[in-house]
Amino acid sequence: MGNLRIIARLDIKGPNLIKGIHLEGLRVIGPPSEYALRYYKQGADELIYMDCVASLYGRNHLADIVRTATKDIFVPITVGGGIRSVEDALDLLRAGADKVAVNTAATSNPELLSELAERFGSQCLVLSIEAKQVGVDKWEAYIENGRERTGLDVIEWVERGVELGAGEILLTSVDREGTRQGFDYNLIRLVSDAISVPVIASGGMGRPEDIVPAVCQGHADAVAIADLLHYKRATIGEVREVAKREGFTVRTYG
Amino acid sequence: MKRDVIGQYKLPVEVRFCSRCTVSNQRPRISFDENGVCSACNFSDSKKNGINWESRHKELEVLCDKHRKNNGEYDVIVPCSGGKDGSYVAHQLKYEYGMNPLTVTWAPLKATQIGRQNLDAFIASGFDHVLGTPNTEIARKLANLSFRHLGDPFQPFIYGQSNFPLHMAVKYKVPLIMYGENGEVEYGGDMKNAYRPTRDIQDHDKHYFSGMPPEFWQEHGISLKDLYPFMAPGFKEIKSNKTEIHFYSYYKYWDPQENFYYCKENTGFTPNPERSQGTYSKYASLDDEIDGFHYYLAYIKFGLGRATSDSAHEIRDEKITRAEGAALVKRYDHEFPSRYYDIFLEYCDITDAEVHDVIDSWRSDHLWHKVDGEWTLKHAVWYESDQPK
Repeated sequence: MGNLRIIARLDIKGPNLIKGIHLEGLRVIGPPSEYALRYYKQGADELIYMDCVASLYGRNHLADIVRTATKDIFVPITVGGGIRSVEDALDLLRAGADKVAVNTAATSNPELLSELAERFGSQCLVLSIEAKQVGVDKWEAYIENGRERTGLDVIEWVERGVELGAGEILLTSVDREGTRQGFDYNLIRLVSDAISVPVIASGGMGRPEDIVPAVCQGHADAVAIADLLHYKRATIGEVREVAKREGFTVRTYG
Repeated sequence: MKRDVIGQYKLPVEVRFCSRCTVSNQRPRISFDENGVCSACNFSDSKKNGINWESRHKELEVLCDKHRKNNGEYDVIVPCSGGKDGSYVAHQLKYEYGMNPLTVTWAPLKATQIGRQNLDAFIASGFDHVLGTPNTEIARKLANLSFRHLGDPFQPFIYGQSNFPLHMAVKYKVPLIMYGENGEVEYGGDMKNAYRPTRDIQDHDKHYFSGMPPEFWQEHGISLKDLYPFMAPGFKEIKSNKTEIHFYSYYKYWDPQENFYYCKENTGFTPNPERSQGTYSKYASLDDEIDGFHYYLAYIKFGLGRATSDSAHEIRDEKITRAEGAALVKRYDHEFPSRYYDIFLEYCDITDAEVHDVIDSWRSDHLWHKVDGEWTLKHAVWYESDQPK
């Protein structure tokens, strides 16, 4: 495998960086730009911005935030939330995003994935999955920031999404998100092993050591971290140290 | 039949929305100041600026010292469903203030799985607990009657929620009852208790029972003995017990979202797997399959549904902006609680046609009109004309 990527995830609501538990109880953390710059300086390999009320308004608020961010942040940026069309994606890419992430609109209109992949290439297209466990080794895909069910089985849906052109999966465990209980490596492994494209594990990272089972048992290609960083319980550098100690290959930084 | 909603709830005829949140002057007992700001928003300002929380904390210590028994007996009754608010209060009193609470729950009309799971997790986190469950047949009859007569199937629950803790206080000789928030001041209503920690038992009929106490239903063929569990203990018994009802929100800054964080950490609380119908939240009021109809009828009577209450509080708590609140109201307030509709029909022993007759009887002309054959609100916080300039 390539380098293990350590990604800072910023969930955005209106003008604010926010953080919840199980994607609920969204606490205002602070101004996104301040936190993004800090994570860039700490050596994040990538940033993910997710607008979690975009689907509510039917539009994306992130273009301005991304435009500001790209002035002093020089790592790949993935942007998601409320992307419904090729034009929506184009706006974000023009604003400086390197990849776009799609969830809600793709579940009701899967062809959106192939349209985006044909236009911009799969390397640019992330399928975002909010996975809620509904049985033994069984997860349902949720939308709208973990509020609505779709009836879609997560494994079947990612397989379909990859066929349609998704080049990467952002896999969020709703059950673990914000809980600091560690990643659901069982979920990550079942998704990773079902498809050939990279999987970003998200949800549950409570301490730097939590990356170990996500990679070893879960076969994650990247980890997205929010709570741990926002509440300043660890830095990207500390996570990188654990990765190195475990013998994972990571980007050389600094 | 058409109900006189304006007369019954003393509503202003001209609808106005608060200039800061999503609530309107149609919420019973709410008041607006000369700047068009509602009493709940003004109260929220004083929570942030006017109130000295350090001295309130000391008042709470004094109250606890006065009631603490140290002889093994219970010294405070905490009404608690296992949700985030009551659990927070109980946990604080026991583990921060060294009280010995008896936690009490009046059973939901029809408990949800997640509600019961949360109650069990709460008890397992270290509490003595009593569950009061009335005869289901009678609760169903009362739900049917109160839906038909008051436009609210939830009344039997509200009776018990208010009166069961009083019974427990009298029975266990515990004078102190500690509720969570004072809904009247936090969500808009009568401000008389805003700046004092207690409430009067006499207010129950007016604030919680729409002027109709449990005894009223004798007129509809329910016997006194069947009504007994829903009724308050005798006033004399309440008095001789020196019963005091206090609100924790008087002593501590009340922020429902922070209660969620507290209970996630301390009492094993888990939010709903999906949002409740009629609103966007996953963590509030999730223990009863019937309560969605309580909120829906409030939407019909006052044009104010569940998303309005939730978003208004979150605006005051500075979690969301007014524009976001209005978008949430637009999206969710009108949503019919279809998920539990069949259960509701069966529980209340009522037909779909009857339900819609009741609903339509509560649509007041000053709030509703038909547009292209569809019932439509005349005023909504998200209509441009209602936006503040």
